[in-house]
Amino acid sequence: MRSWTAVAAAVGSFILSAPTVAAVPTVQTVLSPKFQPPPVFKNLNLVRTTNLDKGYVRETVNVVVQNVDQQPQSEYYLPFPADVFDHVGALEVRDKKAPDAGRFDVEAVKVGSSSSDVHYYVVNFPEPLAPKAEITLGISYSILSALTPRPAAIQQSDKQFLNYAFSAYAPSAYQTVTQKTKLKLPTTNVPEHTTTEGLKSGADPERQGTTYTYGPYDTAKVAPGTAYPVSVRYEFTKPVITASLLERDLEVSHWGGNLATEERYWLRNNGSRLENQFSRVEWTVSSFQQQPSSAIRELTFPLKPGSVDPYFTDDIGNVSTSRYRPGKPRRDALLELRPRFPIFGGWNYSFRIGWNNNLASFLRQGPAADTYVLKVPFLEGPKVPEGVQYDQVVVRVILPEGAHNVRYETLDQSTSNGLPSSHQIAAEVSPLKTYMDTLGRTVLTLTAEDLTDEARDSQLVVTYEYTLWDGLRKPATITAGLLATFIAAWAVGQIDVSIKKR
Amino acid sequence: MSLNEIWEAASASPYAPLVSKDNQFAVGFSLLFAAFILTGLFGLNRSLASIVSFGVPASLAFGFGAVFMICAVGVYV
Repeated sequence: MRSWTAVAAAVGSFILSAPTVAAVPTVQTVLSPKFQPPPVFKNLNLVRTTNLDKGYVRETVNVVVQNVDQQPQSEYYLPFPADVFDHVGALEVRDKKAPDAGRFDVEAVKVGSSSSDVHYYVVNFPEPLAPKAEITLGISYSILSALTPRPAAIQQSDKQFLNYAFSAYAPSAYQTVTQKTKLKLPTTNVPEHTTTEGLKSGADPERQGTTYTYGPYDTAKVAPGTAYPVSVRYEFTKPVITASLLERDLEVSHWGGNLATEERYWLRNNGSRLENQFSRVEWTVSSFQQQPSSAIRELTFPLKPGSVDPYFTDDIGNVSTSRYRPGKPRRDALLELRPRFPIFGGWNYSFRIGWNNNLASFLRQGPAADTYVLKVPFLEGPKVPEGVQYDQVVVRVILPEGAHNVRYETLDQSTSNGLPSSHQIAAEVSPLKTYMDTLGRTVLTLTAEDLTDEARDSQLVVTYEYTLWDGLRKPATITAGLLATFIAAWAVGQIDVSIKKR
Repeated sequence: MSLNEIWEAASASPYAPLVSKDNQFAVGFSLLFAAFILTGLFGLNRSLASIVSFGVPASLAFGFGAVFMICAVGVYV
């Protein structure tokens, strides 16, 4: 009995040494309503590249920053308009000249006034920038749900157009000497774009193939925070795939030597709605002719080599319109799914897929006794040219029953891994009771918001301790149960129930 | 030491289960069958000695056999 109590106590005292935060990523600091960032920096040159190739916006800003204060400074404020702020994902800031030194610490802060039209991300330099010193920042992020279909409703076989509205002046909390914005579009079919007047001499924007360049502008005398609204409308006859929620379970089984993955998607197409009723005939004709369409026709999921037993189900049951190509050894397998119906703009589809892998490729025995290291992809998901945006991703790593001392980290690379900083990934450890469990399995739940398919290559490393007794708990419980039955059978046989004189 | 360094340091020791996936059904079935026979033998003579000689081995065989069998049929516990 004592050992059970000790084990229960050990399970209760999970230690999570890596960043532990609230269950839902929240903005931690609230600034006073009249807050203005101190004017301690000057942007000498700013180049913003906006990539609209996919169904979301991907921006890279390279900026040369100079400290114009008398004191060393380490807090750089990045402003975002209030309507965009909640959709900024995977924000990453690096020293452009030393990208291998890792990403800078970034914190989201809100201005404490509902009428405020701007909120901030605060970039903390690892070392304060000395007066008059310069640093080149490489800032990259994606903006979700920023593209609006125009017209909002189209015919089934019509081309689809998206509108992107932004400011020709890059939002900045500091004075910017020169700046320009490069817009990379997926097509040359751009029926409308704003032409600026009086911002620079010559035509603005300048067009080169599918690239539009706004600027360069001399903005030394323009007040920080000034906006010059422009917009561009371009053809995008592809679905705007949005997962409002993705739940991803990774279940580790030591007894089975198996890593089971299950993903549950709540998909939506954010493209133009259908003006008329859906026509099956028209759809069949356009599918046969392989015409581009704004509907989701098929999704392709590359799976890790050695993936087996795939399944694809939805609320109704098994969906038979899928194909699995296991791939050669060491090559990715491909799971090709066709939803039950084409998903047009404004339509939803939820489904689940899952598969198994050998645990040996993902789990190693650590150097210390009873320690295990698990390395798994944080996100897999479909790989499609039009990209996928995820409003919320919940990754659950289901460790074996009795695993304790759980720690995790997401791997940083020299370029963006598509994940937000560790502050913005909420982590929680909780028990989960399922088949053959007595105490419940240890579950590490990681919640991240506003991700894109750029996070497909990101890796998650989890370490935990798991003793021999933890492993033996399942068979021991069943053994004890059957033994108790035998003893009961014997004990019942000992009772004398004969009718006789005593 | 970062967790990724621990992963790299452990490259020589990938996890190997006690019974590989291919053998789970054979092992599970054998153990469950042994448990069935031993339970039958216990049933013939329900004495304290039988519990020790048949009941304990039957319980152990059933405990481990059930775990391997549920893994073999795809519920990886």
